[in-house]
Amino acid sequence: MNNMRSEMRHEKRVTRTYHRELFGAIALYTLLLVAAIRFGRPMEEGVLRTLVLVSPMIGFGAAIWAIVRHLARVDEFIRKQLTENVALAAAITAGLTFTYGFLETAGYPKLSMFTVWCVLCGTFGIVQVIRKLTGK
Amino acid sequence: MKNLLRELRAEHGWSQAHLAELLDVSRQTVIAIENGKYDPSLPLAFAISRIFQQPIEAIFTPDQEPA
Repeated sequence: MNNMRSEMRHEKRVTRTYHRELFGAIALYTLLLVAAIRFGRPMEEGVLRTLVLVSPMIGFGAAIWAIVRHLARVDEFIRKQLTENVALAAAITAGLTFTYGFLETAGYPKLSMFTVWCVLCGTFGIVQVIRKLTGK
Repeated sequence: MKNLLRELRAEHGWSQAHLAELLDVSRQTVIAIENGKYDPSLPLAFAISRIFQQPIEAIFTPDQEPA
């Protein structure tokens, strides 16, 4: 049992550290977002209001930092797989959004640029699952 | 690149997870190398060579030997 526990040390250690840093960043983002909505919106127009409203991006930056640190921490094969998956997801997202550009011309509803972000995340998840299941 | 990782690991009676821990990599990486789906970097190949106390060329061989 102790042997089994020590055998999982590498993956568990890497995953735990990543989750701690990522969820910390998400918590910071959420906190700043709530504060920005609560205090930023009623403020008078000006530089200070802009800074308060954009402050949740500090949490977003922290999340990027957590992801960069995770990529540096994982082993070479996992890093290769992850970067390939991101590249594939980006290419598929580019294809999908480009296609939707033509559909908008054909009369489909205009979508927010924010949608691209959701498509990228979803595509990345699908690519990860497919590659894991197929072992490619 | 072909390799004898699976055979050497079996000789030592180690699981993939145990070898992964010795190499400080994930089990997925050991599986990928054993299945010939991933060729390790030189530092990792040297680490494998050290653990099994065999030269790299005794563990890894190119798919096609150069003419």
